[in-house]
Amino acid sequence: MVDLSVKKEKLFLKNPIMTASGTFGYADEFEDFIDVSRLGAVVTKAISLKPRPGNSWNRVIEVTSGMINSIGLENVGIEKFISDKLPVLRKKNIDFVVNLAGSGMDEYVELARICDANKIHAVELNVSCPNVKSGCLEFGTDARTLGELVKSVREVYNGCLIVKLTPNVTRIEDIALAAQENGADAVSAINTLKGLGMKLSFKNGKFYREQVIGGFSGMAVKPVALGVVNRLKSVLDIPVIGLGGIASMQDVLEFFAVGADAVQIGTANFTTPDISVRIIDELSAFMEENGFRTLEELKAVLRHFSPR
Amino acid sequence: MTIEKLKKMNKGKVTHIERVANEMFLIKIKTAPDFSSKPGQFISILCDGHTMRRPFSIMNFAKGNCSTAPDYGVISLLFKKKGDGTAYISALKVGDTVDFIGAMGNGFSLNNEKILLVGAGVGVAPVYYLKKYLNDAPRLIAGFQNADEIPACLKDEIDFISTDDGSGGGQGKGSIIDFLEEEIREYQPDRICVCGPHIVLKLTSEIAKAHDIPCEVAMEKTMACSIGVCRGCVITLNKNGKLENASVCKDGPVFLGEEVVW
Ligand SMILES: Cc1cc2nc3c(=O)[nH]c(=O)nc-3n(C[C@H](O)[C@H](O)[C@H](O)COP(=O)(O)OP(=O)(O)OC[C@H]3O[C@@H](n4cnc5c(N)ncnc54)[C@H](O)[C@@H]3O)c2cc1C
Ligand SMILES: Cc1cc2nc3c(=O)[nH]c(=O)nc-3n(C[C@H](O)[C@H](O)[C@H](O)COP(=O)(O)O)c2cc1C
Ligand code: FES
Repeated sequence: MVDLSVKKEKLFLKNPIMTASGTFGYADEFEDFIDVSRLGAVVTKAISLKPRPGNSWNRVIEVTSGMINSIGLENVGIEKFISDKLPVLRKKNIDFVVNLAGSGMDEYVELARICDANKIHAVELNVSCPNVKSGCLEFGTDARTLGELVKSVREVYNGCLIVKLTPNVTRIEDIALAAQENGADAVSAINTLKGLGMKLSFKNGKFYREQVIGGFSGMAVKPVALGVVNRLKSVLDIPVIGLGGIASMQDVLEFFAVGADAVQIGTANFTTPDISVRIIDELSAFMEENGFRTLEELKAVLRHFSPR
Repeated sequence: MTIEKLKKMNKGKVTHIERVANEMFLIKIKTAPDFSSKPGQFISILCDGHTMRRPFSIMNFAKGNCSTAPDYGVISLLFKKKGDGTAYISALKVGDTVDFIGAMGNGFSLNNEKILLVGAGVGVAPVYYLKKYLNDAPRLIAGFQNADEIPACLKDEIDFISTDDGSGGGQGKGSIIDFLEEEIREYQPDRICVCGPHIVLKLTSEIAKAHDIPCEVAMEKTMACSIGVCRGCVITLNKNGKLENASVCKDGPVFLGEEVVW
């Protein structure tokens, strides 16, 4: 048996394969496809203080090697999460991270306080959602504001504090450093890119247009994500969780090669609902076959080739 | 974790594929023995090179003890070629593997009421399944644009056909909606089940309501996950004055027409 565990600073995972927020619901939905308790961790759909209905227009459209979503953070709200979803996750032995989306500083702090009171081991601050008008994106695009947010949350939250970064900024290093300096335990990157997906058709002398403006994800964004993780690793000491376009074990190895400590699988869960556990199986078989006893050994070899 | 619960990841083999109307195809897929489904449920097919699976209503699925019947364990789908995904499926050959998830969603209610089934275009597929499931008891009516759009494989199984331009022959000229009042008067159904374009669902639901007949509508919405997690396929329901979201893939695709906010 190979050792797939990740132990770095405050990031403890039984294996490095997590599932990304918004692509895995509250985990129980995937029980028809996989044994969810095998995952390194499941990151929940973003949770806000009050339930949100989400956006009312067309929410998803496919684009080349990816998709655009404009969900608008539809979710059940923290109260219902704590009463209905949390007991299920715990009972089923699922390791999880709660993704938090506030509409202002106070709301993030309140959410984190509630998570702390409920002994939730890890939260991921969604400071980077492109689909809601007020709130979270502003925190993710300004280093000083983000620093203040992380500091305030840190004061009330004792578990593992992950900050999820948006790629839609000029210098992501500055934002990430602000998170680190103010007490973040890890960062995850990337959230979706801003995009517009369109389908035009011409029928009976008339054009028809379908479009969705929102977050771009899926295989097509992997090079952006790899680039970001590579840049983050050159400035940060805290762990970096890499995500964006991962759809195979090969992709995971590439993220390790640029220094990712763990990874999350997002859109690929839609294409192949059992992809996450398949990658865990492939990774452990690969390590077994090729004489890597621990994940750290594998990562060390991969990083040796990592560009600087 | 039981095997039973993990079985929604499926692979099947194409046993038959045929063009049955203008740009419309019938495909039959042999499934694993443990597959089961109900009318109104759908499967989502992985199309090579595509991020989003494409959902299709099951048009028939023969299960039961007749394991020697030719279509035992075979899913039939009726689909219209629209874009790249359906073009990929239409190009599949007998013997090819189909990667699909399902059966997904909740189907129509199944009971021995007197049911009027209404299909429009390719939407005839799931209501046809309901007819077969209930041993041909319900009455099935369907509308198509013109004669070229009527699937040859179903022509003789539909009790009444209308075509927009009358090219379908003796039966009806006009939208299937134009014949609904008359059908209701004559057939006196306890329930109406309908699938087709949005406007057909909405109008059928309104007419049913005017006659105080419960109406079940099979909705469509672009899907990213088909399993209820992405919230991409959400519609609004009005449940006794309270608005709430429902996903077409998991909470539907069949809803009570009177609850849908159109
Ligand atoms: C529950 C459900 C059951 C369905 N059952 C059937 C069926 O039995 N037979 C059938 O022919 N079609 C059915 N559809 C529609 C079918 O899924 C789409 O026609 C198909 O996904 C189009 O894919 P494409 O790549 O060929 O077209 P694209 O190039 O992706 O798009 C062509 C057009 O198809 C429509 N479309 C695209 N994706 C979807 C989608 N996921 N859901 C609905 N519409 C979409 C859009 O209006 C788009 O403009 C069903 C849809 C749903 C949600
Ligand atoms: C439908 C959908 C919903 C998402 N919702 C959230 C969310 O609620 N919170 C969040 O932090 N990220 C959300 N994301 C972003 C993903 O977690 C991930 O960062 C992004 O999709 C890139 O990874 P991928 O290419 O593997 O999907 C969502 C993505 C998708 C496709
Ligand atoms: S398609 Fe994802 S929730 Fe319905």
